Amino acid sequence: MTENPIDQISRQMARRWFLKDCGVGLGAVALQQLLAREAAAAPGPLAPKKPHFAPRARNVIFLFMGGGPSHLELFDYKPVLARFDGQLPPAELIRDYRAAFINPASKLLGPKFRFRRYGACGAELSELLPNMGTVVDEIAIVKSMVTDAFNHAPAQIFMSTGTQQFGKPSLGAWVSWGLGSESDNLPAFVVFSSGNKGPSGGNANWGSGFLPTVHQGVSLRTSGDPVLYLSNPPGVDSRTQRDTLDTIGQLNRIRYQTVGDPEIETRIRSFEMAFRMQSSAPELMDISQEPAHVLKRYGIEPGKPGFAMNCLLARRLVERGVRFVELFHESWDQHGGLVRGLTKNCQDTEKACAALIGDLKDHGLLDETLVIWGGEFGRTPMVQGSSDGRDHHPNCFTMWLAGGGVRGGVTLGRSDDFGFHVVEDRVHVHDLHHTILHLLGFDPQRLSFRFQGLDQRLTGVEPTRLVTEILA
Amino acid sequence: MNSRLQCTTVLAAALISVSVRSAFGDDRPTAISFQQQILPILSERCFACHGPDETSREADLRLDQRDDAVRSRDGSFVIRPGDPQASTLIDRITAADDDERMPPPDSGNEPLTPEQIRLLRRWIEQGAPWSGHWAWKPPQRPPVPTASSANAVATPVDAFVLARLEKEGLQPAPPADRETLIRRAYLDLLGLPPSPEQVDEFLNDRRPDAWVRLIDRLLDSPHYGERWARFWLDAARYADSDGFEKDKPRSVWFYRDWVIRAFNSDMPYDRFIIEQIAGDLLPGASQDQRVATGFLRNSMINEEGGIDPEEFRMQAMFDRMDAIGKSIVGITLQCGQCHNHKYEPFSQRDYYRMFAFLNNAHEAQPVVYTPEQQAKRQNVLDRVEQIERSLKESMPDWQERMARWETTVLARQPEWSVLTIENAGDNNQRYLPQEDGSVLAQGYAPTRFTATFHAADSSEEIRSFRLEVLTDPNLPAGGPGRALDGQMALTEFQVTAESLRDPGQRQDVHFVRAVADYSNPPRQLGPPYTDRQGNSSGTIGPVEYAIDGDDRTAWGIDAGPGRRNQDHQAVFVADRNIAYPGGTKLIIRLKQNQGGWNSNDNQTLNLGRFRISVSAAAPETDPLPPAVRKILAVPADRRTPEQQRTVFSCWRRTVPEWQQASRQIERVWKDHPEGTTQLTLLERPRPRTTHVLERGSFLRPLEAVDPGTPAFLHPMPSDGTPLRLAFARWLVARDSPTTARAIVNRIWQAYFGTGLVDTPEDLGTTGSAPTHPDLLDWLAVELMDHDWKLRHVHRMIVLSRTYRQSSQVSEALLRKDPDNRLLARGARFRPDAEIVHDILLSAAGLLVPEIGGPSVCPPAPPFLFRRPVSYGFKSWPYARDEQRFRRALYIFRFRSVPYPSLQTFDAPSGEYATVRRPRTNTPLQSLVTLNAPLFFEAAQGLARRMLQQNSRSDEDRIVYGFRCCTGRRPAENEQRILENYLRRQRERFRSGTIDAAELFVDSYGRKITSPSGTDDAEFASWILLSRVLLNLDETITRG
Repeated sequence: MTENPIDQISRQMARRWFLKDCGVGLGAVALQQLLAREAAAAPGPLAPKKPHFAPRARNVIFLFMGGGPSHLELFDYKPVLARFDGQLPPAELIRDYRAAFINPASKLLGPKFRFRRYGACGAELSELLPNMGTVVDEIAIVKSMVTDAFNHAPAQIFMSTGTQQFGKPSLGAWVSWGLGSESDNLPAFVVFSSGNKGPSGGNANWGSGFLPTVHQGVSLRTSGDPVLYLSNPPGVDSRTQRDTLDTIGQLNRIRYQTVGDPEIETRIRSFEMAFRMQSSAPELMDISQEPAHVLKRYGIEPGKPGFAMNCLLARRLVERGVRFVELFHESWDQHGGLVRGLTKNCQDTEKACAALIGDLKDHGLLDETLVIWGGEFGRTPMVQGSSDGRDHHPNCFTMWLAGGGVRGGVTLGRSDDFGFHVVEDRVHVHDLHHTILHLLGFDPQRLSFRFQGLDQRLTGVEPTRLVTEILA
Repeated sequence: MNSRLQCTTVLAAALISVSVRSAFGDDRPTAISFQQQILPILSERCFACHGPDETSREADLRLDQRDDAVRSRDGSFVIRPGDPQASTLIDRITAADDDERMPPPDSGNEPLTPEQIRLLRRWIEQGAPWSGHWAWKPPQRPPVPTASSANAVATPVDAFVLARLEKEGLQPAPPADRETLIRRAYLDLLGLPPSPEQVDEFLNDRRPDAWVRLIDRLLDSPHYGERWARFWLDAARYADSDGFEKDKPRSVWFYRDWVIRAFNSDMPYDRFIIEQIAGDLLPGASQDQRVATGFLRNSMINEEGGIDPEEFRMQAMFDRMDAIGKSIVGITLQCGQCHNHKYEPFSQRDYYRMFAFLNNAHEAQPVVYTPEQQAKRQNVLDRVEQIERSLKESMPDWQERMARWETTVLARQPEWSVLTIENAGDNNQRYLPQEDGSVLAQGYAPTRFTATFHAADSSEEIRSFRLEVLTDPNLPAGGPGRALDGQMALTEFQVTAESLRDPGQRQDVHFVRAVADYSNPPRQLGPPYTDRQGNSSGTIGPVEYAIDGDDRTAWGIDAGPGRRNQDHQAVFVADRNIAYPGGTKLIIRLKQNQGGWNSNDNQTLNLGRFRISVSAAAPETDPLPPAVRKILAVPADRRTPEQQRTVFSCWRRTVPEWQQASRQIERVWKDHPEGTTQLTLLERPRPRTTHVLERGSFLRPLEAVDPGTPAFLHPMPSDGTPLRLAFARWLVARDSPTTARAIVNRIWQAYFGTGLVDTPEDLGTTGSAPTHPDLLDWLAVELMDHDWKLRHVHRMIVLSRTYRQSSQVSEALLRKDPDNRLLARGARFRPDAEIVHDILLSAAGLLVPEIGGPSVCPPAPPFLFRRPVSYGFKSWPYARDEQRFRRALYIFRFRSVPYPSLQTFDAPSGEYATVRRPRTNTPLQSLVTLNAPLFFEAAQGLARRMLQQNSRSDEDRIVYGFRCCTGRRPAENEQRILENYLRRQRERFRSGTIDAAELFVDSYGRKITSPSGTDDAEFASWILLSRVLLNLDETITRG
């Protein structure tokens, strides 16, 4: 895993040379068998691979809440902030603080919603999250997240790739590269987008950086073609398509016999997988077979695309062996309209989030599926505008994780009385990445790819920590 | 991982008694190569703590310098040349104890392999010979090896390749057949497939130099420049949009076209680089040379709300350094941004000293003109001058009259005092204070908003306000506004005055009069200044519009092309003195309501740079244009001719008997062409100070540094040349060790799929060693000795026998050399995304060969450009008619939403410099070529092309179509398969099982018709057959 493909090949070459030219006691027949076996397993870039050690999770569903959800209204209740509503923040709190839009010396804004305790663990959640309350014993809430960036695009790229610089692989691409795919008719890394806008960071959020491009996320849609150009051109029915692919395949095989380039075989396989995808992708999207109570559980209105539908599809994708599913829901940038915006966002998403956890559990998938919820940063305890908005805040925010190797019913971390700084159990984005990789069976130090003369890693060069507190 | 360890252990054990071999098995029984075998181990495993970076150096030991590694340390030696037993290095790397062993387990480095240990031991035995990294020594011309068979050598390239093959006991492959060769040359040199007619011409050319003639013809083709421009644009991270959240369209196609022309004119590579780094600083820089600096400006721009523009200017600077590192010098510079380089003798300070060369430019965006437009523009200027000359001739005493006018107007200029204004808004748009008291608007550009400013003034009397809107190099087209053409519109100018002493006392200022040096005639705004439904955002016109209380009208200064980007000023006169005793707080609101609806597009009409002043005077008449006012301050005899003309042009409009002539001049100006803008660099007159930035953070500047180059590289002459220009020349100096190597290596990569060094972005110590070091150096020296003309390098490669080898491969050879690094065969690979696109459209006979111009928007699913896929609504004006069949080079590139078919075939997004594309082979690619509407249209086109052949036989038509796609004739079995396929489709269409007419839609869903004389079933059958041909592996492969 620490090798780049060139090294791998030269190692294989060395090995072949050794076996062949050094004649180290293997008979010629044994040698042939060995080489043949190697050729048969000649791994496509997406062949399943084993991680460094036994994984706790095999799949990931990342619910990316673009825009920066307010931890202060959703997970991190601050009675003191309520008491100081309308007053200026203490000077030492905002010393050297850079805010995106507001003057840091803006008045404090008390939480806009009530909180109550849920579940056996007694975790405190906002009244906006009643359904999440029913699964709170399954999730680990991390109230001590910290990030490096406070503008959307850089912060999203940071959350997605571990750096603010463009050109690095996304988390999903690393996982696809490290683990390969369990599906031979769907991509390894699938992306959906819902909400008010597209992600600020654009495609780079699911890019493959310097890793082979097969590992980049593939956008799927719930209306029209689920995969771009999936449908045959007008007038081409499935019989014609089959006949066409057979003919292309025949001709490609003849060519292969002439020139001997194994890339032709790969091309033949690609066409076959494309054909399979033409039926598997619509089958995936066809939720008519899902029982009515399941649709209801997610809050799906049939025919209406959106986050709830995408959650159900995420479960169906994981069922079908897709390694990494990422749902972008970019609607959480409440500079103003905090109350209305959060109410609507929670109506649109929280029921589906809770349903996803329950549904995965019912299908026996939660144990091996890591679900992650969160945005690129949190929001300021200081007001933006008169009384109904908050600015971007990188110093403290909340995320939750569930499933695959995560201990449910845990709340980790504590922020100060204003929800401004983390005061206990700080979890930096790199620590989160470390923990995610760990759950998938990787040592983040060793999951590296040599590029530009460096062993590049998702978690960067500084030491990172495994958040053991939330591990099952 | 386990199997790897086991494998290498077994391997190494077996090797103990065997001679040392490289990965390719070349015999080196005794001599260990420091460069190839030892340095990679030291740099990968040891340099992090024992390398050039003194801040992370442990135990006062450096292993990157022989002197230090072999010196005595109290009688013991880390390396004792000739004596491994006495070298503590060996003890440490073989120690069983974790605490003893190097590299330490907690370093994240695995222990050295037995093979590596053995190599190090042998190397010390051999006296630990040392040499610097190969790439830091300027290339010297190596002797050309003598080949055993002279006729196997067409160009010296072959001699180097053969020498290596002989060593490996391999034979070169026979030449490919001529059909393969011509297609290979077309795809490599032009990025286009040859037509069957072009193939025939070559096949029939029996002259011995037919190949040379073909290559020279292709190198002379204007399409050569297009294909190789794309090669460079990857490295230049070219894209047509800003990137980041807003990802707004930008205008940079002039740069793209400059690159095409540079390749087509075979501009020497050193000049090519100099112009891109510092073209603006060349003496008498032409427009082209300024456009060339667009290379550096291809960095992304973040204009999301709430950003600090300086933070992202720094990001762009880092990107520029990265681009220079990857694309010009082939060295990873990025590390130096945050810390000293761990592997090269390149410190963080070195990084910022190089950075300092680039850190002194405006982010300019001037108006540029095509040659035709330039001629037209010159004609306008000449005609105006002619009229003005005749006016002067008609009035012998004009100079005295003008001087009198100057005195009069100067006398009535009020005294102004400039306000220090401070934005009181929410930091959406940022206002950077300038030295002259003006502010420059940067960052997010809202389209409809009110900017509020606070200022304090202690005057006893304030009767009027002056708003100067000013040009600035950092504004689009130079400003004064932020619209793409530098325009602006001021909806309302509002002021509230408040007593500083008693804030309870305040009043909204009532303006009775507004005058301006210029307002454009009233004009209703059109696209893009509309609401979502396309209704106009209002009317721009006289300055009174800014105090009329009407949000639909605004002061406009659009003087039309050629005169649009000038300073202007408006004066607003209050009904009375609005000053308060003891000082006045002024709350100034600049309402700007005339932008379009979409702030994620270029729809803004915001003020770009402006300054506000107050006066006790209440002027009645229009003020002087700021430019004229400035000139009048210069004594008449010291004005430049240009200044004299400016004053004259202003004055002549006031001369009663010249009204007619002035109107005539106005009509002439209407012929001035609209230009385009281009992002360029423009040197600032006053240098910025560059600091080392702690961990690359612009908020944590450390010591200041002067511009300079790293000490371990060749020196930079200091001869008083502007610094950025000197730096550019240093990059391409004859003794620059990596520049020539980097470019010939990438050219090689383009021809053979892999470079001679397979890490083209990094020729440094951590990069790979070259497979053919002498060949690399020979090519580099050849390039420099031939005036840096790339075409010479192309010829040396393409005319070689190495290039012309057949790409057919046996299993044995495949096993020995799967990646064809030894070149015992021709290269075979799927070409770049753009070439795949162009092959399909060319084979279809649809490709439009037009060169250059604005980028085009071919068919793509609309949802890509809307929410929630795209962050904001993106404009994608679909290319109508045949423009959709332009070469892929011209497809509009949004960084955040790449064109899907190009992305699927691994085209880079332009978010960072790329010098090595991945090359994948995926099902999504199959879906694109099978089903994307544009490529289905290609199938229709190819069908038409086949049906238009004179011969009516299926056989001939199939042969023709097959040749369009693959360049060759089908073999008999292939022909039969295709005929059978065609027959089956005919049967199905004829029997009515499927409806032929359904296939007859173009990529915009419009109906098309069968060619005359062909029935629907027949046309449909041929379309499907074409689809098969276009989807063959061979069609999208360069064989």
